[in-house]
Amino acid sequence: MFVLSFLVRRLLQGALIVFIVSLLIFTLLRVVPGDPVRLMAGGMAPEALIEQIAKDMGLRDPIIVQFGRYMSGVVQGDLGQSFVRPANGASTGGANFNDSTRGERAKVLDLILETLPMTLQLAGLAIVIALAFSFLVGIPGGLAPGRWPDRLAFYISSIFVSLPNFWLGIILALLLSVKLGWLPAIGYQGFAYTILPAIVLAVELSPVLIRTLTASMAGIMMEPFVAVGKVRGLSRRRIVFGHALRNASVPLLNLLGIQFSGLLGGVLIVEFIFDYPGLGLLTINAVLQRDFPLIQGIAIVTSAIFVFINIAVDLVATMIDPRLEY
Amino acid sequence: MPTISRRNFLTHAASLGAGAALLNVNPDFFFSSAFAQSGKPMVFLSAENITGNWDPTSHTTLSQINVQAFVMGFLTRTPMRLDNPEETVYELATSIKLLDANTLEIKLRDDVKFHDGKPFKAEDVKATFEYGSRKDRPAQWYPGPTETLDITTPDDHTVIVNTAKGGYPAHLFVFLASYLPMMSATDIAGGPSGPLTQRLNGTGPFRFVAQKGNDTVLEANKDYFRGEPKIPGINFTFVGDATTRMLSLLNGQASIVERLEPEQVTTLEGNKAIAINSVVSVENKYLWFRCSKPPFNDPKVRMAACHAIDLAMIREVLGSAGHESYNYVSPVKFGYTDLPNYPKYDPEACQKLLAEAGFPKGKGLPDLEYITSVGFYPKTKEYGEVITAMLQEQGFPVTLTVLEPVAWNERLYDRPGGGPGHMIDCGWSTGSPEPDLVLRTHFHSSSKRITGIEDPQIDASLDKERNAPNLEERKKILQGETMPLLAEKVPALSLFTSVMIHAMQKDLAGLFIYPDGTMDASKTTFA
Repeated sequence: MFVLSFLVRRLLQGALIVFIVSLLIFTLLRVVPGDPVRLMAGGMAPEALIEQIAKDMGLRDPIIVQFGRYMSGVVQGDLGQSFVRPANGASTGGANFNDSTRGERAKVLDLILETLPMTLQLAGLAIVIALAFSFLVGIPGGLAPGRWPDRLAFYISSIFVSLPNFWLGIILALLLSVKLGWLPAIGYQGFAYTILPAIVLAVELSPVLIRTLTASMAGIMMEPFVAVGKVRGLSRRRIVFGHALRNASVPLLNLLGIQFSGLLGGVLIVEFIFDYPGLGLLTINAVLQRDFPLIQGIAIVTSAIFVFINIAVDLVATMIDPRLEY
Repeated sequence: MPTISRRNFLTHAASLGAGAALLNVNPDFFFSSAFAQSGKPMVFLSAENITGNWDPTSHTTLSQINVQAFVMGFLTRTPMRLDNPEETVYELATSIKLLDANTLEIKLRDDVKFHDGKPFKAEDVKATFEYGSRKDRPAQWYPGPTETLDITTPDDHTVIVNTAKGGYPAHLFVFLASYLPMMSATDIAGGPSGPLTQRLNGTGPFRFVAQKGNDTVLEANKDYFRGEPKIPGINFTFVGDATTRMLSLLNGQASIVERLEPEQVTTLEGNKAIAINSVVSVENKYLWFRCSKPPFNDPKVRMAACHAIDLAMIREVLGSAGHESYNYVSPVKFGYTDLPNYPKYDPEACQKLLAEAGFPKGKGLPDLEYITSVGFYPKTKEYGEVITAMLQEQGFPVTLTVLEPVAWNERLYDRPGGGPGHMIDCGWSTGSPEPDLVLRTHFHSSSKRITGIEDPQIDASLDKERNAPNLEERKKILQGETMPLLAEKVPALSLFTSVMIHAMQKDLAGLFIYPDGTMDASKTTFA
């Protein structure tokens, strides 16, 4: 019953957040300088044609009318059509809008659904690598506060936080792909192409996770129930992994929800550098091509993902620690 | 005595099982090699995206023209090298003969088939010329609209083109023959939304297979009339970032990459596995003046600006990416000559002209905007800053606006009342020796794409050279009248000719690169 009321409440809040994000993005895209119709029609198109296309597409109606029309499509699962991409999904440019032979435009939802799994695969692997590394470095650091494992964790997270992801991406590609030939780096032909960009993202994620885990673990180990555990005859391994780590995971889990938003920001740069065909590369190309319907669609889907992840994180946190209430 | 609990037993048993399973995992699933090797397709990384409409008459986009060059057939090909810019190699045509000033006879090969199996015939040339000349075709490559042409096909392998109705000479089709991809009459009959837009169907060495995201997949045409290509296919992929393209070449994933920055050339020159190919291209880079609005509607102000710019300094900024030239077309195009009256760096002449135009030392000039792009052409921002500084030095109140390609492209062309800004940077590249693809396109009042210039004297001269009865006469008019007139009226300043730089794996042999960046890979092999 708690879970149901929790979900209903949070989903309603989430829907409101997505709606506000959609309205903001929609309005911003329409008030910034530059007419998307001129981009679609080509630089040499006469003014009359520009106005005609704009009128036909309803782009001269008041913003609120346009938004209403757009949202009525969105609730039916229709995020509109890309301004420039054909149905085969290629990144395009240069065609004239009024060309009668213009191919069929791609549906925004199709483009997102094609690329989203790629990004989720990348993000998932990045989180796995980041968590594995953070546990490996953070737990010993938390178990030995002030001693060398703690200092090592601090130094590693300080170095990692100082590495710009675009620089690290290029360096790792040069080292692991060009010099050593261990991993492919550019594009996507199989799972191996996800590893290098995932490592870059994991390096970006790790510092906060390591610090949180170290501090949280050190705090938990000072708790009375840890000392009581020893008295009960539990092994140190059982105390650390069975009790302390479980308690230390709650702040880590909450942090992961927030980190995920940062991860999607990092994905933009990393996917561009590695030419990884995910949502990040799609976003960059959409922005460079002023493909407004695609930008709007991506914004709505990513904000929905944020909301969903945060709900899921809160739900899992309450399961780990039943004392928590959201 | 050591004891074992039920929990520990289960833990250890599971660990053993997992370890045994791990030994049986085929790591190829994770680490399958994708590096370019012998017997693999050629992987070309393009700096520019395609249009999404496969109709060759629907665009003038270089990357898609590159794809077309692999797939489509042409009546002739023109290698356009500096030492022999007018060389012509017959491909689908066996001869092209001027019967009189308005009549051209084209004889065709009889052993060629389209990729869909249809034999290539005269009807295809007729359909291609007539369709491509339609006024609604965006590419607008042809000398006149369809109604100005009479095309007959006396037999399956002869085409007669008559231009008498249009009043322009038929020899204009000679150079265009190397630029116009031949389409199937059946495809064209399918109409504007028919098969032409869906895929490429040509007679070239590679056939179009599919568009998968940003990858255009081509495979060798076993029935190619000059013999099956040695490589099994080509993957043509758009990768927007120059560093990414270079890394991909270095790790062996890419076979060849284009549009290298001069610094990248320096880096790659030291690499034993990489070969660099530089070729003087058909593309000149220009500073275009907006001639339809003040102050550049006055030729004196335009000429003053030209005298303020030291072209040698710009070439210095460009390094290996720029070639010295003094004309409005590339040295590999028909009619090129170093123009004796081409504007030179001359601050005194600049000041004199400014004073004569009523702007002594630039006083009274409005605030001027010079627009350039960054990310597509090499070094545009860098030499844009140099030009801005040189103009400012002479009193021009100029500011430089640097835009990413889409925003720049949106501001590029002329529009009613004049295009945005007062000057804009852009190159113009057309894969044919035909000079009118640049001159008439930009400086005749019927087109005036970027400059917006309307000058009856220039129009008359452009008409005169176009209407010359033969190529010898035309060259004389171009070099003696039209080009010097343009250098006198300076609707634009050609800054330099671009050098097309490609980097490729050293084992990639037999690839011919044309000066517009298109390639012939029919004899390419991986050594």
